[in-house]
Amino acid sequence: MKLDPKIPSGPLEEKWNRHKNEINLVSPNNKRKHHIIVVGTGLAGASAAASLAELGYNVSAFCIQDSGRRAHSIAAQGGINAAKNYQNDGDSVWRLFYDTIKGGDYRSREANVYRLAENSNNIIDQAVAQGVPFGREYGGLLDNRSFGGAQVSRTFYSRGQTGQQLLLGAYQAMMKEVHSGKIKYFPRHEMLDLVVVDGKARGIISRDLVSGEVMKFQADAVVLCTGGYGNVFYLSTNAKNSNVTAAWRCHKRGAAFANPCFVQIHPTCIPVSGDYQSKLTLMSESLRNDGRVWVPKKKGDKRPPNEIPEDERYYYLEERYPSFGNLVPRDVASRNAKMVTDDGMGVGSSGLAVYLDFRDAIKRDGEDVIRAKYGNLFDMYQNITDENPYKTPMRIFPAVHYTMGGLWVDYNLMSNIPGLFVAGEANFSDHGANRLGASALMQGLSDGYFIVPYTIGDYLAGNDVPKISTDHDAFKEAESTASGQLDKLLAVKGDKTIIEFHRELGKIMWDKVGISRSKEGLESAVEEIRNLRDEFWQNVRVPGEKNYYNKYLEFAARVADYFELAELMALDALDRNESCGCHLRDEYQTEEGEAIRNDKDYSYVSAWEYLGVNGKLETKLHKEPLEFEFVELKQRSYK
Amino acid sequence: MSTMTINLKIWRQKNSNDPGHFEDYKLDDVNEHMSFLEMLDVLNENLIKEGTDPVEFDYDCREGICGSCNLVINGRAHGPKHMTAVCQLHMREYNNGDTIVIEPPRAAAFPVIKDLVVDRSAFDRIIEAGGYVSVKTGAAPEANLIPVPQDTSNIAFDYATCIGCGACVAACPNSSASLFTGAKIAHLNSLPQGQPERDKRTIAMVNQMEKEGFGDCSNFAECEAVCPVGISIASIAEMRKDYVKAIF
Amino acid sequence: MPSFTEALQSQVGRKILTGLTGIFLVLFIIFHLGGNLAILGEPDAMNRYSMFLHDMGPLLWIARIGLLAVFVIHAWLGISIWLRKRKARPNNYAVYSSKGGPSKQGLSSRSMAFTGVVLLIFVIFHINTFALGETQTVMIDGQETHDIKSLVIDTFENSALYAFGYAFVMLLLGTHLGHGIWSAFTSLTLSSKKASAVVYTIGVLLAIVLAVGFLFIPLYIYFGGGCDAALINCN
Repeated sequence: MKLDPKIPSGPLEEKWNRHKNEINLVSPNNKRKHHIIVVGTGLAGASAAASLAELGYNVSAFCIQDSGRRAHSIAAQGGINAAKNYQNDGDSVWRLFYDTIKGGDYRSREANVYRLAENSNNIIDQAVAQGVPFGREYGGLLDNRSFGGAQVSRTFYSRGQTGQQLLLGAYQAMMKEVHSGKIKYFPRHEMLDLVVVDGKARGIISRDLVSGEVMKFQADAVVLCTGGYGNVFYLSTNAKNSNVTAAWRCHKRGAAFANPCFVQIHPTCIPVSGDYQSKLTLMSESLRNDGRVWVPKKKGDKRPPNEIPEDERYYYLEERYPSFGNLVPRDVASRNAKMVTDDGMGVGSSGLAVYLDFRDAIKRDGEDVIRAKYGNLFDMYQNITDENPYKTPMRIFPAVHYTMGGLWVDYNLMSNIPGLFVAGEANFSDHGANRLGASALMQGLSDGYFIVPYTIGDYLAGNDVPKISTDHDAFKEAESTASGQLDKLLAVKGDKTIIEFHRELGKIMWDKVGISRSKEGLESAVEEIRNLRDEFWQNVRVPGEKNYYNKYLEFAARVADYFELAELMALDALDRNESCGCHLRDEYQTEEGEAIRNDKDYSYVSAWEYLGVNGKLETKLHKEPLEFEFVELKQRSYK
Repeated sequence: MSTMTINLKIWRQKNSNDPGHFEDYKLDDVNEHMSFLEMLDVLNENLIKEGTDPVEFDYDCREGICGSCNLVINGRAHGPKHMTAVCQLHMREYNNGDTIVIEPPRAAAFPVIKDLVVDRSAFDRIIEAGGYVSVKTGAAPEANLIPVPQDTSNIAFDYATCIGCGACVAACPNSSASLFTGAKIAHLNSLPQGQPERDKRTIAMVNQMEKEGFGDCSNFAECEAVCPVGISIASIAEMRKDYVKAIF
Repeated sequence: MPSFTEALQSQVGRKILTGLTGIFLVLFIIFHLGGNLAILGEPDAMNRYSMFLHDMGPLLWIARIGLLAVFVIHAWLGISIWLRKRKARPNNYAVYSSKGGPSKQGLSSRSMAFTGVVLLIFVIFHINTFALGETQTVMIDGQETHDIKSLVIDTFENSALYAFGYAFVMLLLGTHLGHGIWSAFTSLTLSSKKASAVVYTIGVLLAIVLAVGFLFIPLYIYFGGGCDAALINCN
């Protein structure tokens, strides 16, 4: 396996422009002859499909939901970063780049991150022109708020529903092209395999979720925008249908999987309340602008929070990180929450929560101001917990939220399988070992609107993609593999439900491959995952049949893939003998609990090659060295 | 923490050709902090273990924003609470021994796929007809070039917040899609960016809505009552105003 | 762009036309009530009013035809909306209930088609009874004219069926207008988010005033004993 990141030469500021000037173009007449498949219609997928269709390509867009508008990008609350410097607080493309690469703990490519920061401004322009109603100031100009990991105010927002508004903008742009006939639209379709012909990605196998039919689709290139794999933990803030299957099946066809252990645990989620729980709900990080995080100083203090006097409260983020305070990056906030609860200072009935308190902000600004800023979030909290956050502090705890890892891609966002492009959360490219708040929306749209449409042209112009039919053997083989796996799942007819297996897998992952990891824990996780996987294939009960709408069959196939991915995540975490970003190895931290990064030995992207599953996952590690020419690697400090 | 027994009467329908029927179920040990959909998850776990086909229902984000879930519970779209999608409804709203009737949204334009899952692609086609601003990627001017008064922006946002769940159609005695269509028209038409296509958009979306087989709006305002994000029927007035403007 | 007639047939067009015709009919009803109340005035006030109308000649016929057209359009639109609603939801809910709050669903709004159809049938009877009914003649200012007043008093004084039947239908009229007036204003976008509650209340009050105004006369004539009633002066 050859992994060439294809980073253009030259000064950082000029790489992307120079690259765009040098790559091959496809003439308008020839664009019409090409067919491109886009899988997933979240921010990356919808924006890529719309932009490619506008250029003249014939596009087929697939999504598992009943409408493209429901992709999980819709749930992003807080905002989207851009280096507009509207606040005149000294922001610049360079600062956004620097904050992002530092926030990612120097485990991402300089060139990619710089390009992301450059594109950020165009995204805001594009969204505003589409009619995205961003928050505005009295003068009618765009407003900004601050977010974790930055000392400038550069986050654009639409109340607490920025993801929804940006996604609807992209979805509408996509529907405009469906109307023009350039996009064929396939909702309620799930990609089950990638078809590779002569080493190139040439199509997909997809199941029509309504009729259950497994179908073959041919294309000149495939763009995978299928999101992250946080649901491997069972409980996460991801939507219930978010899954790794499309990406994992590409991995099994030869695409390298990069940095699988880099999972972001978001610090401000509503704590787990019981076994029946099906998902976790995030409270926007923007709450940390005004809320103060604390726990009682006394271990096991069961007094109601409002009865705990000021001097018995431990504002641990403010005390330990005086310059960033409650606005430290997500990984730091999550890790500290775990440390204080491990020390017995956690609150709530389970002891697995910390307080996020708005008492002082309400005293300072008044309840109306706080309501105007966060009203919908407070209502959501009250609806779920039955507690009034205006009166009692919120209880929060970290939860799996985003996966920085994903399929390996080069600078052109193409995987090591030619013709397979990967955009958005599904790739590994821009966030390193930790993603800063308000950067996911930025990356999804940067990839979809402003990168893939150019680089796909370069690929199509520079490569021979002869016409093939779906009768080709490769299609037949992939179709029968996909179909066969469904039959195999249905044939087990065991005693345990899919959710029971998934919940058990999630528990192993959360306990041993979660906020903090140790060699010992990871090794035992690998063992437990293998055993549970064997049991799954012998004892799972999948209801119904495959030739009609059957959601549990969809789940079963996804859980089967999680069982393989889970092992890879543990192996990746074991390989990385350092702590960086969200990856905290107990063995590699200071006495105060700060991460110790090892740049000498681990400044690389781990790209794993799939070799097979035979009781255990057979896999091979390839390393793409990360070179830093323009920033100086420092120990991250938010103190 | 208290638990309760809940009696369920759920609509089961194999596919769009099946006439469908109600099935009764009894669920013990329902926890008051469970969400309504988690209660159905538990029911399905039981059904799977019994060897019966589980009840199909649509859901995804389970935080009230994706608009996938759309159950009609005891005759009310999204259940008894205002401003709440059914995924955000909790069992604490119910009492021990309650009987809950669950039906799919019923409208000719939303044919049943299976059980409680319906096909809402009519909404996609209404958006496709004109629910966008035709701006190509890369062609956008600098974002702050056109100031938009804060009030205008807030009003546009209030309309844009529609989650496309279809509760408005489900609850409307006429199965009208006017709130959904009006909300998108009002969102885009209220912004300066939406002006060039205002007339074309309004006509095209209104026509598509009719073509899909939704009924007329009779100003019941039930749609506003069930809307999980509280879209006002003022959006329907905006749609009518703009329609008249477009004709003359 | 659709043509004007196409636009009128669209969902929005139909609704606006329903509202316009509805408001026209409400204005007519207010006017009609004024004429009815003339029965309580001077002995010949009502017949004078009738004579005034008849003296309009062709203008009266234009008004009559216009009114009929508006009425027919309104009824036809209402019925077609009801038929479409049946088509739009072929299978009904086993259980259905309103969620309350901002909802304007209730007896009034849900019975629009029913009350509308009853009113349609009623109007045919009503025209047959009073406009086409046989009347005596009476002299006013040396001119011979229909004694409509006697016809009204005779009809209601001597028939419980007429008196109570009319009163009942007028209750249905009130019910129809309870939702109808608000709905018309809303369809014509003369209401707004803020004004909605005010417009609704005014609509309901007007509906009550009209219904009470109309049903008062037949019942009063019946119970008061026609010309013997205190407020009715026959001579």
